Amino acid sequence: MAESEKPKIGIFSLTGCGGDQLMILNMEPVLLELLSRFDIKDFQEGSSYKEEGELDIALVEGSVSTKTDLERLKEIRERSKMLIAIGDCAISGCVQAMRNGQMSMAERMKKVYGVDEDYYDVLEPKGLSSYVKVDLEIPGCPIEKDEILHAITSLLHGDMPEGIDYPVCVECKLNGYPCVLVEKGMPCLGPLITAGCNARCPGLGLDCIGCRGPIPEEANVAAEVKVLLEKGYDEKYIFNRLRFFGGNFEDVQNLTKKFSEKTEKEEEE
Amino acid sequence: MVKDNVLAPTPAKILKSENMTEIEKHIELEILDKEIAKNFVYKPGQFVEVGVMGVGEAPISICAARKKEDLLELCVRKVGRVTNAIHRLNVGDILWIRGPYGNGFPMEKMEGSDLLLVAGGLGIAPLRGVLQYALSNREKYGTITIMYGIRCYTAMLWRDEFLHLFYEGDKINVEFYLSYEDSSDRQCYELQCERSDRCMQGVVTRLFGLKEVEPENTYAVICGPPIMYKFVIQELMKRNFDPKKIYMTLERRMKCGVGKCGHCIIGSGKNIKYVCKDGPVFTYWDALNTKGMI
Amino acid sequence: MYKVLANENLPAFFESLKKIGKVYGPVKVRESSYDFREVESLSEVDLTYTRTMIPPKKFFVKPKETIFDFDEEKLEFKEPPDEEVKVILGVHHCDINALKILDSIYMDETPDKYYIQRRNSSFIIGVSCTPDEYCFCKSVGTSYAQDGFDLFLHEISRGYLVRIGSEKGYELINDNKDLFEDAKPEDTEEFKQNEKERLEAFKLELNVSGIQDMLGLSYEDPVWKETADDCFGCGTCNLVCPTCRCYDVVDYVGLSLKSGERVRRWDSCMLRKHGLVAGGLNFRPTRVERLRNRFNCKGSFTDGSLSCVGCGRCTVYCPAGISFVEVMKKVRGEL
Ligand SMILES: Cc1cc2nc3c(=O)[nH]c(=O)nc-3n(C[C@H](O)[C@H](O)[C@H](O)COP(=O)(O)OP(=O)(O)OC[C@H]3O[C@@H](n4cnc5c(N)ncnc54)[C@H](O)[C@@H]3O)c2cc1C
Ligand code: SF4
Ligand code: SF4
Ligand code: SF4
Ligand code: SF4
Ligand code: FES
Repeated sequence: MAESEKPKIGIFSLTGCGGDQLMILNMEPVLLELLSRFDIKDFQEGSSYKEEGELDIALVEGSVSTKTDLERLKEIRERSKMLIAIGDCAISGCVQAMRNGQMSMAERMKKVYGVDEDYYDVLEPKGLSSYVKVDLEIPGCPIEKDEILHAITSLLHGDMPEGIDYPVCVECKLNGYPCVLVEKGMPCLGPLITAGCNARCPGLGLDCIGCRGPIPEEANVAAEVKVLLEKGYDEKYIFNRLRFFGGNFEDVQNLTKKFSEKTEKEEEE
Repeated sequence: MVKDNVLAPTPAKILKSENMTEIEKHIELEILDKEIAKNFVYKPGQFVEVGVMGVGEAPISICAARKKEDLLELCVRKVGRVTNAIHRLNVGDILWIRGPYGNGFPMEKMEGSDLLLVAGGLGIAPLRGVLQYALSNREKYGTITIMYGIRCYTAMLWRDEFLHLFYEGDKINVEFYLSYEDSSDRQCYELQCERSDRCMQGVVTRLFGLKEVEPENTYAVICGPPIMYKFVIQELMKRNFDPKKIYMTLERRMKCGVGKCGHCIIGSGKNIKYVCKDGPVFTYWDALNTKGMI
Repeated sequence: MYKVLANENLPAFFESLKKIGKVYGPVKVRESSYDFREVESLSEVDLTYTRTMIPPKKFFVKPKETIFDFDEEKLEFKEPPDEEVKVILGVHHCDINALKILDSIYMDETPDKYYIQRRNSSFIIGVSCTPDEYCFCKSVGTSYAQDGFDLFLHEISRGYLVRIGSEKGYELINDNKDLFEDAKPEDTEEFKQNEKERLEAFKLELNVSGIQDMLGLSYEDPVWKETADDCFGCGTCNLVCPTCRCYDVVDYVGLSLKSGERVRRWDSCMLRKHGLVAGGLNFRPTRVERLRNRFNCKGSFTDGSLSCVGCGRCTVYCPAGISFVEVMKKVRGEL
């Protein structure tokens, strides 16, 4: 393929740990072949080479947590035909969004750093789609190699990759892993969480902590709270657990709010 | 291989591919394996699973009556992954097909009667097969009435073919009615001015105002977007149609086409149906007895 | 024809199975769950198991399998070879009856090649069981497997009373004559007594007479919404069900972009995409419609038998603790 026909791609980081780019670098056996299919214009962790101009595909990791992030994102969106959010940070803010809807940024800055809010030009951590149109989201903390490889080959083939919108329980069953929630009463979040990890944790006898995030518009958070309460876990534990990766999800926020209003009332009494 | 594995498709070469609208392509296919072609006998209302390797399969109605044994005509609307991939292909490229599947329209049963074909948008595709079949067996059917609802002139499928029927159909006892939704559409407006007895602005059911349908000796055949059925059936029931003489073809998610994958399942405990295998053609009587059909 | 396999001959019997093919049997995995796994020795097998989480359907329609590899350049595709001959030891009555339901779907007039191939190359040995608080096969008429197996072992004190269900089963016995004896009157007496006790041991009951009409009449019943409030839509109930056979198909294209594979995997009507068509229209948009569909499907007949065999799996493994029997009782207006 002539250089000029290759899709122009850029891989960018906003606020996050850079783990998703690292995952791409880790795809060693196929990485070179994969990259040779693209004209790479920007790949921070892979090379210092950078070029401005139009892109066919922009892969963006990290959340929008500062005004600089936001400007950067808008600029990337403007120059890209397709924008793909990779990793939970870019989708929902991930762990950075743990306290969203619960505590203001000013409070958080005071509490953690002892500084004023605009010291770091911070914004409440959110995923890209809160600000710009996102064409595709690939979840994970970090993303799964197989999933990103499959997505990229699909794109090269000319197709929009098909996202996963079923929960981890499905992969547990396909693998025949015993259910740690049902059999051991462990606080597994699998019934809410987007599959794609091949049920890695339950496969090891561990409970799912929800690192791929709740399934948007599907996850029945209230049911999970109910089940875990019945199993004897206390509310505070349950909500902290749900907020760890799900702080930006509406249901999680609303239920937490209800819960904290309730405890405040109880405390008053 | 194909013979003993229902999930194994057979290659078909694209002979013709024509953009009918911005999103709909008319495709003519040649089945390459002549042995398979010989047994690829289909009737109007049946469908094939059309696949692009690496992308997947989609059920697509056969949109013409069988004229030659290795030929197959399809009309594909670009709406998602598979259909986009089909649209990327050109003349000479290969599509992978399986079928034909489904029950199809009972053309024999309808012999000796008038036909009322009501189509909305892409729904005209399977009905075109019915029409072609009836026209090539013209003596077996009475008056053929077509009511075709479109959004606007540019969304009209097989425009030349149908405009010809619009103007000349009466000569062969075919009455063609057209409705269009976009009230600012100039070309449709002109058609309406030319023949106000045959063309109207509005949804397809308005065309019932232009035509006295005769329930005793007519079979109604309907295909269109899911929302359309209820309204068309209301009109037919107002005119005392026999529910068993109203045929409609349904759309559901389908992965296998042969009653295995379960996606197309409808109904309640009493009456479970597979749209792929028990349908996609059902009567309104079936719908009355099967929950959730329309 | 009825034979007796004495306890002391069981190990030799097990060895004879290995000559037929790979032997699979119920094995205890982790705390309280069982799975059909490949076994090398009799000691690995627990023939007194309650139920496996994943039913034996996994041998015939695999949870995830490549249906073919394709090469677009050569206009070719290849089905993966599958010549394994299997002995599945220790299948319960309900699961054998469930396989018969799958048979009528997968071996109809448009048969599934993969299924048939595997069904024809497997040897099925049933084993008797004792119901627990989740079993209700007695209510749905599947508590006894009339056929659908090669051999069936009914536990008695000195070993097993063996029923022969096929020619293949007969041949095995014929080839190992010294392991089997004719059943004596006291063996048959014991068998009858055991069956009586077994049927009396059922704690859970579901009245299924007229259930199809009850479901039809409950189409708009609040039971669906109530259940949906607790349900995750996780698909577990379908994936562990021995009679659910829904599957999804996905293509994977290789880096060459010219070759790849078509894969199918078990699907569930409790998942969002099951009823989704192009343009975002979903025929079963929420858990309300999906639960209703699931229960209607299970409550319908497949080829004359109810599509639920009362194995209890969907209830045992539901993370939300939703009980199949309880929902059906609500449908019937009994709760
Ligand atoms: C009996 C029948 C006849 C049809 N005839 C025609 C026709 O003549 N022309 C035409 O353009 N379209 C027709 N359709 C609709 C066509 O099948 C869908 O538009 C097509 O499947 C969309 O697939 P996609 O991958 O492009 O869309 P996506 O939305 O990307 O679909 C993703 C997946 O969903 C499945 N899917 C989505 N929609 C449907 C659907 N409606 N039916 C089955 N599976 C679906 C596909 O298998 C696909 O893998 C027909 C559908 C049925 C059931
Ligand atoms: S272990 Fe967790 S993810 Fe797996 S089935 Fe149980 S609840 Fe679902
Ligand atoms: S297993 Fe339970 S929670 Fe999961 S979909 Fe079935 S009924 Fe709902
Ligand atoms: S519906 Fe439940 S009880 Fe009935 S066969 Fe399926 S898993 Fe067993
Ligand atoms: S209950 Fe649902 S998953 Fe099971 S066979 Fe019926 S439609 Fe398929
Ligand atoms: S399409 Fe698979 S069962 Fe109907």
